[in-house]
Amino acid sequence: MRTTLALLLSAAALAAQVTPERLNNALGEPQNWLTYWGDYSAIRHRELKQINTANVKDLKLAWIYQTGRGGSNETMPLVVDGIMYLTAGDGVAMAVDAKSGRELWQYKHKYPAGVKATAVNRGFAILGTTLYMVTPDSWVVALEAATGKLVWQSEMAPWHEGTHYASLAPLAIKDKILVGISGGEQGVRGFIDAYDAKTGKRLWRFWTIPLKGEPGGDTWAGDSAQRGGGPAWMTGTYDPKLNLTYWGVGNPGPDLYGDVRKGDNLYSCSLVALDPDTGKLKWHFQFTPHDTHDWDAEETPVLLDLDWKGKPRKLVVQANRNAFFYVLDRETGEFLMGKPFMKQTWAKGLDAKGRPILDGNAEPTPEGKRVCPSLAGGANWMAPSYNPQTKLFYFQVRDACDVYYAAPPTYVEGKPYWGSVSRGVTDEKESGLLKALDPLTGETRWDFRYYRAPWAGTLSTAGGLIFSGDEDGYLMAFDAKTGKNLWKVSLGTRIVTAPITYAIDGKQYITLPSGGAVVTFTLP
Amino acid sequence: MIRRTLWFPPLAAALALAAHAQVSVPLGAEQGLAVFRSNCAFCHGADARGGRGPSLITAHMAASQDAEIRGIIKNGIPGTTMPAFGSLEKDDLDPLVTYLRSLASSGTPSAKATGDAEAGKAAYAANGCQTCHRIGFTGGLYGPELTRVGSGRSLEYIKESIVNPSADIPAGFEGVTVVEASGKKSTGIRINEDTFTLQLRLPNGKFASFDKTTAKSVTVLKQSLMPPYKLSGKTLDDLLAYLESLRGSIVTGDSAGKAKGIQ
Repeated sequence: MRTTLALLLSAAALAAQVTPERLNNALGEPQNWLTYWGDYSAIRHRELKQINTANVKDLKLAWIYQTGRGGSNETMPLVVDGIMYLTAGDGVAMAVDAKSGRELWQYKHKYPAGVKATAVNRGFAILGTTLYMVTPDSWVVALEAATGKLVWQSEMAPWHEGTHYASLAPLAIKDKILVGISGGEQGVRGFIDAYDAKTGKRLWRFWTIPLKGEPGGDTWAGDSAQRGGGPAWMTGTYDPKLNLTYWGVGNPGPDLYGDVRKGDNLYSCSLVALDPDTGKLKWHFQFTPHDTHDWDAEETPVLLDLDWKGKPRKLVVQANRNAFFYVLDRETGEFLMGKPFMKQTWAKGLDAKGRPILDGNAEPTPEGKRVCPSLAGGANWMAPSYNPQTKLFYFQVRDACDVYYAAPPTYVEGKPYWGSVSRGVTDEKESGLLKALDPLTGETRWDFRYYRAPWAGTLSTAGGLIFSGDEDGYLMAFDAKTGKNLWKVSLGTRIVTAPITYAIDGKQYITLPSGGAVVTFTLP
Repeated sequence: MIRRTLWFPPLAAALALAAHAQVSVPLGAEQGLAVFRSNCAFCHGADARGGRGPSLITAHMAASQDAEIRGIIKNGIPGTTMPAFGSLEKDDLDPLVTYLRSLASSGTPSAKATGDAEAGKAAYAANGCQTCHRIGFTGGLYGPELTRVGSGRSLEYIKESIVNPSADIPAGFEGVTVVEASGKKSTGIRINEDTFTLQLRLPNGKFASFDKTTAKSVTVLKQSLMPPYKLSGKTLDDLLAYLESLRGSIVTGDSAGKAKGIQ
């Protein structure tokens, strides 16, 4: 056993040279899962078809790995040459033999004395032979992939209880590690950072909320930008040819009470395109100016190269939390299309530049105002997919409305800064959809309805399959063309991340963290 | 299926209420009103005079200690649908208590039952209520437990539930009819459901599990499984008096254990 482990470890150390070139061509290694989204474009499609529409019904349990931790794990494992690397929240991470589910090492972040931070975590980035993750007390941590030993750690911001924290999976670009901060409900001012992958030195910071005198600073009344929110809590995407990285920016703060921050509140609820070498803003597009419903723009900005009105065009698409599906030109940020993908009651539509034409009757009030979609949004951070064969975009919809309340908040450091709350609408049952949408038209091709609104993401494979999860704990496979449910298994707890696929020795696996476990399936 | 919508007063009335509250207890009451609206009004009504949940304008509220009210909000009331608002912080909780007390001391208490509770107890048995409802461990499982119905529901709500049960069907008691592939038809109350399966409690008290993907139909009933009862005025008053008196000791589960010193 010990010999086998040693062999495995040395094999991993030799093979796991994940160069920037490998990351650029991650789709060319369908047996691996090299970044949070699987590749820089985030299409989450894999050219693996051993498991396909004909035999998916035969999927059998391969192994279960118990992290030993409770709750819901939002992590997305990486799989690099047979080894699975995953995080488990609260600064804990591990490496597992992806063939057997046996643990190879475990790492526990050492919190400085007096720090009581806790948070979910969404996973690792890998570059060279080093893994990178963030911790609840906002450190970027670099670990040796072969051993799980700490290489360096770098503080994003000093820890204060109840303020900012970190939870996303870092994004490795060339020689840098990009991360963003969380805390949009705590009166933080958001930022995206880049660190030197070798040393941990911070190389640049992009503040998502500009102050007075800076471009965009005049979109915030008074000094409200200081507590303006705009967290960046989801991993961005990257176009190596354009050398631009795309990040969603979160909600402005206070979430529901906009009177203290009159103006458009840039760059909250926007997509920002940054130069990864310098952190300089190339362009931005704001989906929801002056948001008062917590509709972050943290949903995946998926990069697609499609024929747009007959001409090849570099696009970025997003199913936004505000219930509209957007298509932008990713070189310039030009708005090309925006269409609602579900019932919404806040906008009459979008104007020629993509700015919402407000309904005028959707503001939160002291007595409560029913608005669709709900605070959690029509879409959210759940991973979407794009299948190049069907040319369809697959994503999870939360079909729900909320009653939104507003009350003037007082900012107290370390306390939530919401400006009141939202509540489910009495006697209205929420539900959910897996939606297949034509990204060129915004038209729905098919829907599959879930009993509850989901927090799980999707995966697309060349086997003609879309995998997804639901709030009741089902891992499911669907025919990508028709939406027919072909396979399901109940994993017994709500699913809050997305399945991935990989292959070892010619055998394809489907894996999904669920509760405190990682559950992996394969064919008999 | 559940069709009663919450009623919110027009803005002017709400503001008047706020002003009123401010006059009686200025300190914190206005902030308390905001906390009340977003956390309590959906059950207790926008004016706290009762909705699905009971009126909070009561002599009991006026006589209670702040700590007692705070405890009820933080911990909920076992055996009723009053949930625990454990996450409400002191900054919100204190103004809310101030607001509730200001209402209790200034408002008119809601209606009280006028009937004879003893006669109502007999009416309860005579009408077969125990076939579906439980008090303590006695009675059926097909309808909501009534052990503490007097402290969990407003009198108006209880009355409506007897004469027009379909006006509001409580969560957990929605009726569903399933027709299986074989043509077999079953009706029961929905205990649990997910994307693919459904679990009902049948009238005989037993659980039954159904596969929604193979069923011919799954229909959520718009009407309550409880029939409306047409009782004489006196019998209804007596029954209401009896039901309102049911706010008694909890004899089931954890609470019983705690009472006996079993943690």
